Amino acid sequence: MAKRVLITDDALFMRVTLKNILTKGGYEIAGEASNGLESVELYKQTKPDLVTMDITMPEMDGITALKEIKKADPQANVIMCTAMGQKSMVMEAVAAGARDFIVKPFQPEKVLEAVQKIIG
Amino acid sequence: MKVEYVNPFVCAAFSVIEMVIGVKPVKGTLTARPSLFTSQQCNVITGVTGQVEGQVIYGMSLITADKVASAMLGQPIRTFDQLAASAIGELGNMISGNASTALAEAGFQCDITPPSIVRGTNVKISTLNIPALVVPVMLPDIGEIEIIVSLQDRR
Repeated sequence: MAKRVLITDDALFMRVTLKNILTKGGYEIAGEASNGLESVELYKQTKPDLVTMDITMPEMDGITALKEIKKADPQANVIMCTAMGQKSMVMEAVAAGARDFIVKPFQPEKVLEAVQKIIG
Repeated sequence: MKVEYVNPFVCAAFSVIEMVIGVKPVKGTLTARPSLFTSQQCNVITGVTGQVEGQVIYGMSLITADKVASAMLGQPIRTFDQLAASAIGELGNMISGNASTALAEAGFQCDITPPSIVRGTNVKISTLNIPALVVPVMLPDIGEIEIIVSLQDRR
């Protein structure tokens, strides 16, 4: 069975781009969230194998959402996927349990590589 | 307003545009404006908060916006819909995000806010009365994007 990924990004464009990349890579889309709050809710509902998480989002930012998801499921696989690559931001995300950190703009191969490394 | 705040945005714009639109931009002449003002038809506004604060606008004509969105989506757009708008917004988000990383590396910790898109001309934004520096960037076969940077040290 195909592994399922939950996409989190406030930009429709980025959700569509990630969906295309992941679908072509053989993954199934568990859901699409447009902010951190939605992502936490959808995580609990859909129990995906992996989550891609933007950071700068309305309602709830990606770092807070990452912490909430890890609280609900310490085994959760979350990859940050954001335009901000500050050391402090990367360190905070990794400390909160993020498995990888991809800085936008990205090459499709880089996303698939990161996802494959974690869930195969 | 310090000129050193402008360069990270111009550098980030060059690398992001080359990667997502696939053209080599050409930098125009830097000018100053007494306040944050845009006469462009389509504007992406990103906020900056932290040790440096203010706004950065990426302004362009409607025709340029259509061409930028088409290039980002990999297909011509028929109408400037939500998907096209979010592509333009994401371009601004990526440039400001990358620039904020460079600013942080230079010792100015800052965060950015999600982009807003404003369409219309003669838009004056007056939350903070900070002068603005403007750098036009020419994208071959696409058009011009004006980078309007209005930032100050946090008091």
